[in-house]
Amino acid sequence: MKITALLVLKCAPETSDPVILANASDVSHFGYFQRSSVKEFVVFVGRTVASRTPPSQRQSVQHEGCAPFLILDLPGLCPGFNFTRLQLFVHAYNRNGLCAVGFMDDHYPVRSAFSLLNQVLDEYQKSFGEAWRSAKEDSSQPWPYLTEALNKFQDPAEADKLLKIQRELDETKIILHKTIDSVLARGEKLDSLVEKSSDLSMASQMFYKQAKKTNSCCTIL
Amino acid sequence: MSARHGQSSYRDRTKEFIDIVESLRRSIAPAANIVPYGNNRNDGSRREDLINKSEFNNRASKIGLAINQTSQKLSKLAKLAKRTSVFDDPTQEIQELTVVIKQEISALNTALLDLQVLRSSQNGEENNSRDTSTHSTTVVDVLKNRLMDTTKDFKDVLTMRTENMKIHENRRQLFSSNASKESTNPFVRQRPLAAKAAASESAPLPWANGSSSSSSQLVPWKQGEGESSPLLQQSQQQQQQQQQMVPLQDTYMQSRAEALHNVESTIHELNSIFTQLATMVSQQGEIAIRIDQNMEDTLANVEGAQSQLARYLNSISSNRWLMMKIFFVLIAFLMIFLFFVA
Repeated sequence: MKITALLVLKCAPETSDPVILANASDVSHFGYFQRSSVKEFVVFVGRTVASRTPPSQRQSVQHEGCAPFLILDLPGLCPGFNFTRLQLFVHAYNRNGLCAVGFMDDHYPVRSAFSLLNQVLDEYQKSFGEAWRSAKEDSSQPWPYLTEALNKFQDPAEADKLLKIQRELDETKIILHKTIDSVLARGEKLDSLVEKSSDLSMASQMFYKQAKKTNSCCTIL
Repeated sequence: MSARHGQSSYRDRTKEFIDIVESLRRSIAPAANIVPYGNNRNDGSRREDLINKSEFNNRASKIGLAINQTSQKLSKLAKLAKRTSVFDDPTQEIQELTVVIKQEISALNTALLDLQVLRSSQNGEENNSRDTSTHSTTVVDVLKNRLMDTTKDFKDVLTMRTENMKIHENRRQLFSSNASKESTNPFVRQRPLAAKAAASESAPLPWANGSSSSSSQLVPWKQGEGESSPLLQQSQQQQQQQQQMVPLQDTYMQSRAEALHNVESTIHELNSIFTQLATMVSQQGEIAIRIDQNMEDTLANVEGAQSQLARYLNSISSNRWLMMKIFFVLIAFLMIFLFFVA
């Protein structure tokens, strides 16, 4: 359930490279030496995927765990295979030239990912207007909303209202089941109370009759 | 002599009734001339009543029998669900049994509704005594309660089964987490293709890292492939992307629609749960009223008894002078007796 990075890019027409407008990444769970390379990886993949996403389309790409790598142009080093344990899904959403790309792991539900990308795009358009259309190079200023979004939306329920509603409804249902059980137990207790109270009323009636009998029978002595 | 059954209680006084009928019959037997005449007149309508009532009784007994069978099947299902281990999971049987029980319960529901309709139609006719209508109402209520208990047990069994399955899933994942996550991926090699520039500028990076630590395993694939594969894969990947595009849009929309459907059905279930809850609470309210009445009767009785006893005490204490006088008289008589004898 982890978001590794969120990117906003401007997807120019096919000829040129997409331009990165905002970038937020969380690489803390990779090893120290891998962090910078992961960041590069994120940038690179984001550009590639964004450039290949047609406008007003959504796309998901999976990067699997094992990927061999070959070193070719280095004399003295024979090609070797190194396997990565990276499991990443890249979700991209292109909307009229403005692209949002998210890097998540495979537990993150796809639907929440796309609704999150939607929100990010809306927010970006709200805060930056149309200024991004003229961007020609990668902007390196961090956009605080994106970093905060990255932190907030690690839990997919935050991004996807439907998921949140479904979760709350399930909790409510569980609570209601417990309530019904306790109401049934209450019913049983009430039944036992009814029994006891009817016995009590019988006993008190007998008591009254006895008392009346002793009173009315012998007047003197 | 009161039989406890779910939430309604009734007294079984059939034996007393039969005794009374016998005694009445014996007492009325001398006047037997009048009786058959009257009987003949009412026989037609009474037989019809009997037929109607016996049909009601037949249906009710059939429903009760079906409820018994369903609860037996349910106990079997509960045993099956409880004993599932990780390996030999009788999923097939459990599924079949679940489906069968569900069908039976819905059939019983409809049958019970028919019974209710029949009863209300019978109550519409005038030649029914008050006792008959209360009896039929009680029977229908009892059957409804039993069906509700059975349904509740069914739900409990299903919850237990889902919990078991979740536990099994977790255990299975613990043991085979590696195996399940690996998946073949047609899109592995698509990245290096577009940005050769990026690849070249990161070229010095990988092997420098690689020499420094063996764990720099992320970078390798970026370097990737030699020159022959990229072109081929670029076209391949584009095709695959195109093919993947439309189904992905559909999948996205479908998943949203499905999520909405789930939410809607959950809300419906919640609605039914709430109505059941309200019914139960109102029924229990009646019981509480009865308890209250019983307690008031008890209070009145005890107060009456207390006043009687108080009066008795008063009479006892106020009569003492009279009693002392009587004792004196008695002792006087005793003295006289003693005088005479001795």
